[in-house]
Amino acid sequence: MKEETGTSFLSFDGVSKFYLSRGRMLGGSGRQVVALNRLTLDIRKGEIFGLVGESGSGKTTAGRLIVRLEEADRGIISVEGQDVTHLKGKRLKDFRKRVQMIFQDPYQSLNPQLSVLDTVSEPLLIHRVGDRLSRAEMVMNALQSVGLSPPGDFVHRFPHQMSGGQRQRVAIARAMVLRPDFVVADEPTSMLDASISAQIFNILLEMQKSLGITLLFITHSLAAARYLCDRIAVIYRGNLMELGPADDVIQRSRHPYTRALIDALPKFGQCGETERFNTFLKAERESSSTVGCAFFGRCSIANRILCSQEVPPFKTVSPGRRVACFFAEEQGKNLTASKTCHYGI
Amino acid sequence: MALLEVEDLSIGYRTRLGLHRAVEGVSFSLEEGKSLGFVGESGCGKTTVGMSLMGLLPRNGEVLRGRVLFEGRDILSISEEELRLLRWKKISMIFQAAMNALNPVKKVADQISEAILAHSSSVSKAEASRQVEGLFQLVGVPKERMRDYPHQYSGGMKQRAVIAMALACKPRLIIADEPTTALDVIVQAQILEETRLLQEQLGISIIFISHDISIVADVCHDIGIMYAGELVEYGSREEVFDSPAHPYTRALLSSFPTLTGNREMLKPIPGEPPNLVDPPKGCRFRERCQEASHECSLISPAWTELFPRHKVRCIRFERKKGPQ
Ligand SMILES: Nc1ncnc2c1ncn2[C@@H]1O[C@H](COP(=O)(O)OP(=O)(O)OP(=O)(O)O)[C@@H](O)[C@H]1O
Ligand SMILES: Nc1ncnc2c1ncn2[C@@H]1O[C@H](COP(=O)(O)OP(=O)(O)OP(=O)(O)O)[C@@H](O)[C@H]1O
Ligand SMILES: [Mg+2]
Ligand SMILES: [Mg+2]
Repeated sequence: MKEETGTSFLSFDGVSKFYLSRGRMLGGSGRQVVALNRLTLDIRKGEIFGLVGESGSGKTTAGRLIVRLEEADRGIISVEGQDVTHLKGKRLKDFRKRVQMIFQDPYQSLNPQLSVLDTVSEPLLIHRVGDRLSRAEMVMNALQSVGLSPPGDFVHRFPHQMSGGQRQRVAIARAMVLRPDFVVADEPTSMLDASISAQIFNILLEMQKSLGITLLFITHSLAAARYLCDRIAVIYRGNLMELGPADDVIQRSRHPYTRALIDALPKFGQCGETERFNTFLKAERESSSTVGCAFFGRCSIANRILCSQEVPPFKTVSPGRRVACFFAEEQGKNLTASKTCHYGI
Repeated sequence: MALLEVEDLSIGYRTRLGLHRAVEGVSFSLEEGKSLGFVGESGCGKTTVGMSLMGLLPRNGEVLRGRVLFEGRDILSISEEELRLLRWKKISMIFQAAMNALNPVKKVADQISEAILAHSSSVSKAEASRQVEGLFQLVGVPKERMRDYPHQYSGGMKQRAVIAMALACKPRLIIADEPTTALDVIVQAQILEETRLLQEQLGISIIFISHDISIVADVCHDIGIMYAGELVEYGSREEVFDSPAHPYTRALLSSFPTLTGNREMLKPIPGEPPNLVDPPKGCRFRERCQEASHECSLISPAWTELFPRHKVRCIRFERKKGPQ
């Protein structure tokens, strides 16, 4: 069902990804982990789309499937209507030029042996773009656009000669230098101070505006997602829980898991009486069934019989707003935070 | 008398380029059973302060000036032997990224009981393992996971184990250095909640160190804002957050979004902190300060009391309060 407006740029259609875990005991038998479970969603051209969830919910997996660091086990990923799930050879290489990924840890994602110039021009070399001179110019422009200025001061530096924020800017410049259509930013600021994070966020917003890039922003903070994103999807253990415009999902959340994520945000400032939703169980409920809602074990409002036996459908509650919860309609309570209350990112 | 009183603490690191003045003239005090949070951006000297209280500065680090009174005794001038008796038993620390420092080839419970045995000769092995069980319960790790190895733990469980380790010898003061930075929001909220409960139940004093103001705000009674090695503002949580005074504090606060109201552009602080081998004269924040005037480069600001406890170091306040 495509009830939404705006042109779809990238879509997941029933995408699943499985991993074999090594098992809890050393040498134990491998157990199958469902990293993504039939994920279906559309990302629109030119938007910043947020994928939000706790650790292990499958966010990075989704990103890695898009940029084809990994391949889906089931379902179809398409870009502008073209199936890219299993591209190979030259078509894959051409595709990779259009999609880039920025990783969580700027300390690990940059090669310590490469100067900034080499790091940022590497994608240009791989895709044989331009000549030496024009490549240098593209690198300079990319550095300038991420606020590493004057670029001449940075091109000959190595990762260890830069702060974490500077390194992450280099990683962004590297992702942007090919002028991709689509960028996955995987928790790009989780290692950085808030002020530096805010700088990086503003750079991403600027990229979206000036270059028309479509972005998938991965985070565990709904506050960061609200700042950056047009729409967000909340996932839990590989399952899509709630989807819609960012403000709507946060201010009028309908899924108990989304509410747990809101409750968990650290906050400060003049917050007044912020009512908690208390939808998250402290201790996970025993559940033998593998059917039922993925969130059943942690949900304080679950119906023991219904929710443990049946998967809630992903139903539309208002135009562009979808929720996978039997009790979505009853969840009328809205966020009461004051406008002067600030949240952790 | 306060449990901990720090006066004019200054610490330097000897480096190839000269003495790096990582901490300059820091003073504060901490009452029994209270929590104090130090916030500031990366490199401002938070860990250095914590390490010095444990007597664990790296080799090239040196206390240049100041006093640290713990239970009334100056622990900067006692012998290494006496310090060993304090460390872990009276003052313990959760190190930055400690969850990655658990010994990978030892069961988590054994690591903690070894810590107990190493610091109290009177405790038997059986007693130690009973205590470990109690600690696991206290920090919310299921008993049946005690015999696991660290790699079998999730990040949140490892962090809980590290907290259990810090609690092992029933200290009066815990220094927690970025204890939740690598964790996701849900686990972070649980750990913060548990930290608060532990502190209330056990009456332990806590120094909480983080670059993230929102986390410190969640757990601490008092807040100290650090910039480039100096404390620039100090007060109760309410004072600092309801009426932030220092331009740096206000700038820090504006790097955090809201969930309701208009989506306003965040205003990150431009520029970078100064080089502390050759710190600038006057106010160390002035080059990045939107409100700086010429005087700021001449005079090093003194503390101005805004409220009995709320203090700020910025000459704009000196002028307001100073003699007419
Ligand atoms: N290579 C792998 N082998 C086995 N299991 C994996 C692998 N990669 C991911 N997983 C598992 O898949 C699930 C989803 O992982 P993923 O990294 O996508 O989560 P995430 O939402 O990005 O979490 P985080 O916030 O911690 O980065 C987890 O249970 C994880 O343990
Ligand atoms: N052993 C050392 N030798 C030289 N300089 C050091 C040493 N340890 C720390 N420094 C420097 O002293 C300053 C303060 O470091 P410290 O680790 O206390 O900062 P921090 O506030 O804890 O930062 P972060 O938030 O990144 O942990 C930094 O500029 C750092 O580079
Ligand atoms: Mg991830
Ligand atoms: Mg530190």
